[in-house]
Amino acid sequence: MIRIEKNAWKVMLDHAKSIYPNECCGAMLGNVDGGDKLVRTAVPLDNAFGGSQAQRYELRPEDLLRADREARAKGMDLVGIFHSHPDCDAYFSETDLKNSCPWYSFVVLSMRKGEFDHANSWLPNPEQTAADQEHLEIVED
Amino acid sequence: MAKILIPTPLRQYVEKKDSVEIGGATVGEALGTLTSEYQDLRRHLYTDEGKLRSFVNVYVNDEDIRYLSKESTPLKEGDTISIVPSIAGGLNGS
Repeated sequence: MIRIEKNAWKVMLDHAKSIYPNECCGAMLGNVDGGDKLVRTAVPLDNAFGGSQAQRYELRPEDLLRADREARAKGMDLVGIFHSHPDCDAYFSETDLKNSCPWYSFVVLSMRKGEFDHANSWLPNPEQTAADQEHLEIVED
Repeated sequence: MAKILIPTPLRQYVEKKDSVEIGGATVGEALGTLTSEYQDLRRHLYTDEGKLRSFVNVYVNDEDIRYLSKESTPLKEGDTISIVPSIAGGLNGS
């Protein structure tokens, strides 16, 4: 299960809205205790994809490295990655699967007409051939 | 000795440590020693053919080893090695 605190959730939604109609992306920092994950801080990151960003995103590894360092400095963990699907459902696409990393939770935000519609969290398998849905809850800070 | 920072999801394979101090003259040697000491970690970093997985990037301090000497990149006392995944995606499969 992944729980996301309201303040972090707001940062994620605000970032998705500000980047719409392109895909946004970012890192989720917090604490991990086995399969129980709590996101306490969201860090918006640049979409570095070189083509149309309306349907693709790419994180720079050096940005992720900085986010991981920020997490360590705060006594937190890098819990996962979030990105948006503009005018599309929050499924885990073939592109998401092939370009993911099976270590982290992947939260997908469906944005319709610039507004948040729904979200899902996904856990890719080690072979990156399928992703299981992970229970997602928004909780008080 | 170099310090290897362990990503959170992989700490379960290294006795829950967030970093491990490892000797080695190169990045390849240090990662080889790490994954020999903690064998369950190996399949998460390396393919069956012994190559680093395609989504695994390795940094020495602030430098990506792809732009240095890859796994032959030399290490000096006090270097920090970070393991950082490549991540991309999107709704379009093209």
